[in-house]
Amino acid sequence: MRNRILLAAMMPVTLIVLLLVAVFLQTRLGDNAQSHGQRSRSLARQLAAACEYGVFSANESNLRSIAVAALREPDLRSVVILSADGAVLVRAGVPGYAMPARVGTRERLDQDAGKDSDLYLQPIMAGQLHVDDLFAPAVAEAARPAQYLGHVLLEVSKSRLLERERELIALGVALGLAGLLIGGMLALRLGQRVIDPMARVASMIRRIRGGDFSTRTEVLPDDPLRELQRGLNQMAESLESSREELEQRVARATLALREKKEEAETATLAKSRFLAAASHDLRQPTHALGMFVARLRQLKHDAETRQLIDNLELALQAMRDLLDGLLDISRLDAGSVLVQLQVFPLEDILEKLRLELGMTASGKGLRLRIRPSAAWVLSDPTLIHRILLNLIGNALRYCENGGVVVGCRSFGAGELVRIEVWDSGIGIAPEHQQAIFREFFQVGNLERDRGQGLGLGLNIVQRTAHLLGHRLQLCSLPGVGSRFSIEVPAAAAGAASERRGPSRAESFDADLSGVTVQVIEDDALARLGVVSLLSSWGARVVEADRLSTALRSVQLGLVPDVVVSDCRLPDGENGIEVVRQLRLAAGREIPACLISGDTDADLLLAAKQAGLTLLHKPVRPAKLRNLIRRLATQAQAVREDLT
Amino acid sequence: MLARLRFLILGLWLGCLASADLHAATSVVIVSSESNAAYTETAQALVEELERSGISRSEVLLLRASEWPLGRAPAARLYVTLGAEAAGRLARSELAAPLLCALLPRSSFERVLQQSGRKASPLVSAIVLDQPMSRQLELIRIALPTVRRIGVLWGAQMAAEAPALKAQALSHGLQLTEAAVAEEEPVFPALRQVLEASDLLLAIPNPQVYNSASIQNILLTSFRARVPMLAFSAAYARAGALLSLQATPSQIGLQAGAMARAVLHGKALPEAPVYSNDFEITVNDHVARSLGLKLDAQSLHKRLRQREGEP
Repeated sequence: MRNRILLAAMMPVTLIVLLLVAVFLQTRLGDNAQSHGQRSRSLARQLAAACEYGVFSANESNLRSIAVAALREPDLRSVVILSADGAVLVRAGVPGYAMPARVGTRERLDQDAGKDSDLYLQPIMAGQLHVDDLFAPAVAEAARPAQYLGHVLLEVSKSRLLERERELIALGVALGLAGLLIGGMLALRLGQRVIDPMARVASMIRRIRGGDFSTRTEVLPDDPLRELQRGLNQMAESLESSREELEQRVARATLALREKKEEAETATLAKSRFLAAASHDLRQPTHALGMFVARLRQLKHDAETRQLIDNLELALQAMRDLLDGLLDISRLDAGSVLVQLQVFPLEDILEKLRLELGMTASGKGLRLRIRPSAAWVLSDPTLIHRILLNLIGNALRYCENGGVVVGCRSFGAGELVRIEVWDSGIGIAPEHQQAIFREFFQVGNLERDRGQGLGLGLNIVQRTAHLLGHRLQLCSLPGVGSRFSIEVPAAAAGAASERRGPSRAESFDADLSGVTVQVIEDDALARLGVVSLLSSWGARVVEADRLSTALRSVQLGLVPDVVVSDCRLPDGENGIEVVRQLRLAAGREIPACLISGDTDADLLLAAKQAGLTLLHKPVRPAKLRNLIRRLATQAQAVREDLT
Repeated sequence: MLARLRFLILGLWLGCLASADLHAATSVVIVSSESNAAYTETAQALVEELERSGISRSEVLLLRASEWPLGRAPAARLYVTLGAEAAGRLARSELAAPLLCALLPRSSFERVLQQSGRKASPLVSAIVLDQPMSRQLELIRIALPTVRRIGVLWGAQMAAEAPALKAQALSHGLQLTEAAVAEEEPVFPALRQVLEASDLLLAIPNPQVYNSASIQNILLTSFRARVPMLAFSAAYARAGALLSLQATPSQIGLQAGAMARAVLHGKALPEAPVYSNDFEITVNDHVARSLGLKLDAQSLHKRLRQREGEP
């Protein structure tokens, strides 16, 4: 833009200067040439007149003196005087031209006859002196032409003319340059007065575009763009104020949103807390109920009562499932699920699932086929197990006939292993395929039949898969069946984890006779349930409601083989501390386990650090019995060590 | 212009007279070659002279040469022509009366006679412009007594006059230096030749030698050679000749008038052409001063008249 304005300012100046120089040169050069020509011509005429008598009288000395005198004139290079018959009378100077063949009897100009010279040919005519006498008839007199006497050839050098022309051109060029310089400076200055404000305006617009609305330009009184700048300033001002207003509004809206979010978060937190609290509070009686039912089953009953107990166990199992699901959800909510990646063979988990779910499948008359796999994967085996447990459990739940197939295949150049769970169930309509992963969502279970589960399973599966970073896919056709698949990174086969033998080795029926178990539980009902169950398994049970009671019995010399302690005890006591105190009092490492209704991650960590097994209420009687027996075996070993 | 007007007025006046008295016989027919000042002046002087001798104007017919009828000439007792052209025309016509030619050089008159097949006689005579050689030589003697040698430039076909002139010069105690200028030849060589051995250049009328183009350089050359010139026309004296001897138009008119009167009174014209009786001398005082001479035209005229003897 700057260049264009400068060009516009310079153009007329340049044109005018060029025009003036051209006119100057044209006129001056023309004048110069003309005056030169006129002077030469008049010189030639004068010379011709002066030579008249000399030629008439053929007076060469006279002619020579005239010619020599003429040569003193500047620019005259040579003078040649010819007689009427063309003979050279006088030659002065050195002619630089070839003598013309014919001179004629008239004035003539041979331009550039010689080098840098013009040749003026001037005839010499006898001067007419009218003498009126009667002897000569007037008519004859008038008709008589002027007598031709001879010719003057004047060679005029053009070097001075050319030099003068060069001077004039140099002067013209110098004048032109000076004119251009002065005009250019003026144009620059004038242009600057336009460009500067434009540049200021442009920079201001740039700053405004960059978001700097506080910018203002100084409005000068003689500024040609004064109005524009003033308008820009006003625009910037209004932009600034509107932006401030906007920012305030955004801030208000943001604040409102944050409040809403905080409300929502608070509500979620409250819900989670409620869930946690409710499940905790539900755990105690369910735990106790489980113990009682297990105890009840051990008694002899008639067929009707047994049927009743079976139903009771089914209801209890549903309740436990619900509580387990809630436990998982609350742990996921709390972020207390820790991923422990390791390389392990998939077959371990598949084998476990066969054992766990085979009964359920056959109970429902379904065929569960879990294909063996030799794949090793990098993942958290516990979480993978939970995912598959949920998926297969779900599949079994929604299958009326046919069966469920679980298969693994590697893909993606062997980098991934996809575990697929196929079922021949009712299928999931496309519009529900997203919703089924939500909490408590069940397709077609508006009456919320407990037998169909709680709708927590897929939610847990999704969240766990997300936690692991594994891709979960669903492919389903209503009425045909569904396929859930999860992609797990493959790993090289190795001996990364110790292959434990299946827990099946542990005898379900082995009793606990001869084992002294110290039970510390503040909740009387739960304590009663555990105690009665342990007693039914043949164990000698010492019960206590708090640490002091337990310590007293230890001090009385009743050192238990195994300690089973509730985690949360009255007066701020906790199970870990209790175990530590009891071990301290007994003077040996009594094997112990903890039972907790809490899903607190800290507690989990603390128990792990203390080397204590933590069971969550409601504890399944079988699980409890297995654990106690294992601990009793340890106690046996400890005792043998001591002795 | 003025001269032409005067001639016209005169013509009208004469014409009026003629028409007023148609029955009066024409005595004199004047035919003029031209109507310039010299001719008008001559005609006027002629008519006045006739009037003085009792011839009324009605008896004089004034014509221009171009008005001269080709057939029968108007009857008259005398025809007077002014200039060479008129003389030539009338000489070729059948005339029943004598013809007097005036205002023409002798060479022209001789040419007219030659061309018309006539001879100088009482029937055809002339008053020539040329001054008699004796008068000229006498004037030289009076005006420039120191002059011993006179130079003359002859034109073509004029050299024949040289012996007569030479004899006359000798009789006046003067030596003649002469040179001829051939036709279409530069004047200068002859002029230089003449000037080298002359004290005075005597100009003999001849258009080939003396003309407007040449006169300036001739005068300049003679002046440079400090040779004064005696010319045959006042115009030459004004142009740079020392002095000139000539008859004025009125002098010639007067003389023609006198001769016409004589013819009308029964006398015959002179057999040979005559020179003008009267004359005029013009002196260029500047040239005279330059040459260190002191000449007075009046006194010269007077002395020359005295020498010639008062008529």
